[in-house]
Amino acid sequence: MRHAARIFRAEALKQHRRVFGSKLVVFSMLIWPLLTLAQSYYTLRPLAATPGIAERWPLAADPERLLAFLATGALGFTFFFSLVQSAWHFTFERQTGTLELLFLSPANRLVVVVANGFGALVQNVWLFACFAVAGFTLFDVARVAHLGMYAVVFLALLVPAVAWGALLNSLLIFSRDAAFLYTLLDDPMWFAAGVRLPTFALPGWLRAAGSVLPLTGSLVVVRGALLDGRGVGELAGELAALAVLSAVLLLTAVAALRLGEARARRTGQLGLF
Amino acid sequence: MIETVHLRKEFGTKVAVHDLNLTVPLGRVTGLLGLNGAGKTTTIKILATLLRQTSGTVSVGGLDPVRQPRAVRRRINLIAGGERMVYARMTGRENLWYFGQLYDVPGRVLRPRVAELLDLVGLAEAADTRVERYSRGMAQRLSIARGLVNDPDYLLLDEPTLGLDAPIARDLRRVVAALAERGKGVLLTSHYLAEVEQLCAHVYVIGDGRHLAEGTPAELVAQSGCHRTVRVAVVELTPRVEAAARAFAPAVRIAPGGVVELSGPGDVAGALTSTIIEAGGALKGLEIAEPTLEDAILALNDRPAAVIA
Repeated sequence: MRHAARIFRAEALKQHRRVFGSKLVVFSMLIWPLLTLAQSYYTLRPLAATPGIAERWPLAADPERLLAFLATGALGFTFFFSLVQSAWHFTFERQTGTLELLFLSPANRLVVVVANGFGALVQNVWLFACFAVAGFTLFDVARVAHLGMYAVVFLALLVPAVAWGALLNSLLIFSRDAAFLYTLLDDPMWFAAGVRLPTFALPGWLRAAGSVLPLTGSLVVVRGALLDGRGVGELAGELAALAVLSAVLLLTAVAALRLGEARARRTGQLGLF
Repeated sequence: MIETVHLRKEFGTKVAVHDLNLTVPLGRVTGLLGLNGAGKTTTIKILATLLRQTSGTVSVGGLDPVRQPRAVRRRINLIAGGERMVYARMTGRENLWYFGQLYDVPGRVLRPRVAELLDLVGLAEAADTRVERYSRGMAQRLSIARGLVNDPDYLLLDEPTLGLDAPIARDLRRVVAALAERGKGVLLTSHYLAEVEQLCAHVYVIGDGRHLAEGTPAELVAQSGCHRTVRVAVVELTPRVEAAARAFAPAVRIAPGGVVELSGPGDVAGALTSTIIEAGGALKGLEIAEPTLEDAILALNDRPAAVIA
């Protein structure tokens, strides 16, 4: 555990120096999520005037609740997409030759990829998360069963996101051609996970595709806890599903790392870029 | 001791290392020489656990890199030439601290060690400057310090002085020699053969992944069949002088500028100059060149495998 903690510290410093140390990063941490939130809000707000919308999607009939719905979506997306970005940055370690050095060291590979994702996540989301909490408080739109649900919300975002990041890092490390995931997991993830629209509005095939994304389950929990006032008991099914999905992601990451490293040791492709 | 027995590595249909037996004891700098593509880097990466051999066995201090890779990684480190392999946006000190965490070097040990290593590679004053501000040589020196951060028992050096200025390369050679004196086992590949001659007590020569020869640099020169070369410069190369020289030894070569060259065993300088003088030639200069390790490597590489075996 002590070694793992040291690797977390080291990766956090590396992430800070490489990506988050610049003041301009505030554009991706806050300005960009705010702009996309505004775009979604002003695109969907006219729905409030649609006859019968209160029956079909009650939340859309209330502009403040609609904004809260979209803000939770943007918050969740910021969590998960920061890990896609982090994994993409990890691929640059091939070019710098440092990827081989990570694998030359005795550090546990899973700890390294989890620490890398965690370091990126914490440094990327804190600003928008603070902004979102401030917004919820200011507009008084949150309906929370009890204060402990804020911790549940945080964990429902953090744990699956870190598992997700570990998997992405594992895949992107071992295939120099896996950068297409970056494109695949941008707008499509936004769409399929129900960030902007409730998943019931999506066609069945897209709902099925979205169900394997941990962001989908996280948003169900976050919105249930923050917007509908549901407690742990009411969300137990969703939380259990999220825990199982996170475990599956981590186990897949372990398998990907093992297979990937074995393949790299056989083919020597770790040093190729 | 690092030991490989019948080491073989294939990449698809290409055999990069073929039946290589190698020993790297503690307390000695061992050289691994060969032309480009000979299999040196592949061998080093196998020893560093970055590659897995197709067949044969490897032992690093009694540990099996296939079965006990993490234990092996704690005892080795690899330094490759070039300024890559460090993080450009981190300072020199931060880079060493970062890798120290990966190697789980205790904090009370790491702090003084980082300072000591930065001093060792002449980067103490630039310790808190971002690496992106470093010159190529400075980044390379940091890479060397990085390779020592876990105080490895065995150090694998793959062209470590590539691109370094002469004084820095000389300092590095001193460091490498000192490491061996302190009991470390060092395996060195280098294209600077003078460096190998100076540092290595024992050298392996490989070509196309095969073992060609081994021994001290002097033994390799002897094994290669290379001989000293005598160069006699004459004021005017008349037909009579040339004929006399060729009569002395059919292997005589006439180089541009009227230089008579002859390579061969034994001391032929005196006899050749006497022959030229007797034929009416006037001497302008005389040079006796001993065969170098470079001559030996080239000669060994040119010889058919069957002859070497």
